[in-house]
Amino acid sequence: MRLGRRGKISAAIIVVVLFVSVAAPLLTSHAPNAIDLDALKNAPSSLHVFGTDQKGRDVLTRVLYGGRISMGVAVVAALLSMSIGLLIGLVSGYFGGKLDTAAMALVDLVLSFPSLLLAIGISIILPPGIYTVMIAIAAVGWASFARLIRGHVLSLREEPFVDAARAMGCSPGRILFVHLLPQCIPLSLVMMGLKIGGFIITEASLSFLGLGAQPPVASWGSMIAQGRSYIVAAPWMVLFPGLAIAVTALCFNILGDAIQERFGLKKVRA
Amino acid sequence: MPLLLGITLVSFSLTKALPGDPAINMVGERASPEVIESIRKEMGSDRNVIGQYVGYLGLLAHGEFGRSYYTNRRVSDDLKTKFPNTMLLAVGAMTIAVPIGLLLGFLAALRRESRLDHLITTVSVVGISVPVFWSGLLLMLVASFYLRLLPPSGTGELRFLVMPAITLALPAVATLSRVTRTTVIDILDMPFLQAVRAKGLATWRTNIVHILRNALIPIVTVVGLDFGSYLNGAVLTETIFGWDGIGRYALEGITKRDYPVVMGSIIVGTVVFVLINLLVDIAYHWLDPRVRLHKKGA
Repeated sequence: MRLGRRGKISAAIIVVVLFVSVAAPLLTSHAPNAIDLDALKNAPSSLHVFGTDQKGRDVLTRVLYGGRISMGVAVVAALLSMSIGLLIGLVSGYFGGKLDTAAMALVDLVLSFPSLLLAIGISIILPPGIYTVMIAIAAVGWASFARLIRGHVLSLREEPFVDAARAMGCSPGRILFVHLLPQCIPLSLVMMGLKIGGFIITEASLSFLGLGAQPPVASWGSMIAQGRSYIVAAPWMVLFPGLAIAVTALCFNILGDAIQERFGLKKVRA
Repeated sequence: MPLLLGITLVSFSLTKALPGDPAINMVGERASPEVIESIRKEMGSDRNVIGQYVGYLGLLAHGEFGRSYYTNRRVSDDLKTKFPNTMLLAVGAMTIAVPIGLLLGFLAALRRESRLDHLITTVSVVGISVPVFWSGLLLMLVASFYLRLLPPSGTGELRFLVMPAITLALPAVATLSRVTRTTVIDILDMPFLQAVRAKGLATWRTNIVHILRNALIPIVTVVGLDFGSYLNGAVLTETIFGWDGIGRYALEGITKRDYPVVMGSIIVGTVVFVLINLLVDIAYHWLDPRVRLHKKGA
């Protein structure tokens, strides 16, 4: 796939970040939650490359393990958003009418409402944790998928193959899920590429506010929240997890733009 | 109006669905059942859910949001003191973001595919990829603790405002310059610009009068829509810099399960949001004669 130099570099970095998170136990000899009272808030050294935190835990190790949570949550949330968005977009675009009007009004509402407040609202009804964060992100994230897919279905609906399917007596369900759904998958994957960087940031924000993965489990956002109190004495506690968020989100965003350009789509990202 | 009613209903049911009983939270679990019962009666939470909702709407109609469960202060009074702070922060961030974002987007579009364009495009992707709570903390570390230029947190005069405003402006600059760039590029390809150039108008005049005027419409839309993300960013930035605004107030209310506080903040946020969208619609009229003509014709 032609993605341009920037897209390729970003894709490579994402693969590396994914690999080091998954292979974390092989790459580091420290355990992510091992407390070492002899090494509190140590500056970066050859033993602890990213330094240690207020409990003497190795920051590099926690960043690696934290990547599993941060990226895992973002990917699952993206898949969840995509599924809900596909379903609503398909039904709303194909049947039209009052249902469509209502669905799109809801989409407008969700897209315009401050998403973090909505996500925070959801993550306090359910007990804090990674599953809640996934649901909270998806509760906001589905809307942009739904709008995109609905527009696409509107144009697909007029295609001869849909008429043919209808003439052959296909049920609406069959037309939607057997004939139209596969046509919508590539577009939703592009959208997913564009969205996932933002989802990583939202996950980090919710964890930063204490609504995500609960201690002692490391996630990038919660590591920054803990490091905040020690920012003067141990800036590395904040610096490195944040760098991990920024680099990962940046690469996903650049890759998303490259994929979007590759498929000649315009302005899917507002 | 239906939107507002909807929001009160949704946020009301959200707070009702939350686990935990505020009456027990107030006095602790060891309090005698009689005490808890009397508090419930005082708060009105012994009534059924519909009765509570109607009671709440009655309060709202008088411009009241109830009292905080913890401080027992009127939520409306709290919001009155905190709202101007949040607005100040948002206006401060926009004062930084709008000129810089427009300028960057404009430059990138006019020098399309140049080194400058690539640099600006990269900077704007970085801007949307860096979480505000991290950039804010780093800014605080450098400006307050290393350089000792600005106080790390607090509310009030300009020196307190500078850092949160910059932090909040960063992602806004990024979105604005992106939108400006694509919009201006679209306009540059339009035939009327060639006509303008053929007429021999100086390029700076073309740029300012013809491009900017046409570009403003989509840009105003984005600034208006982006206001939601200002409110998002405000929750995080206000928390980090101890800025006494609605974002931090709402978050505190959420962590303490202080329902009147949460609902009051959400409702005020929604009202602001609706008003901003109204302003954007009015701005269309003023910016784009086509919208006016359309209405008269209809």
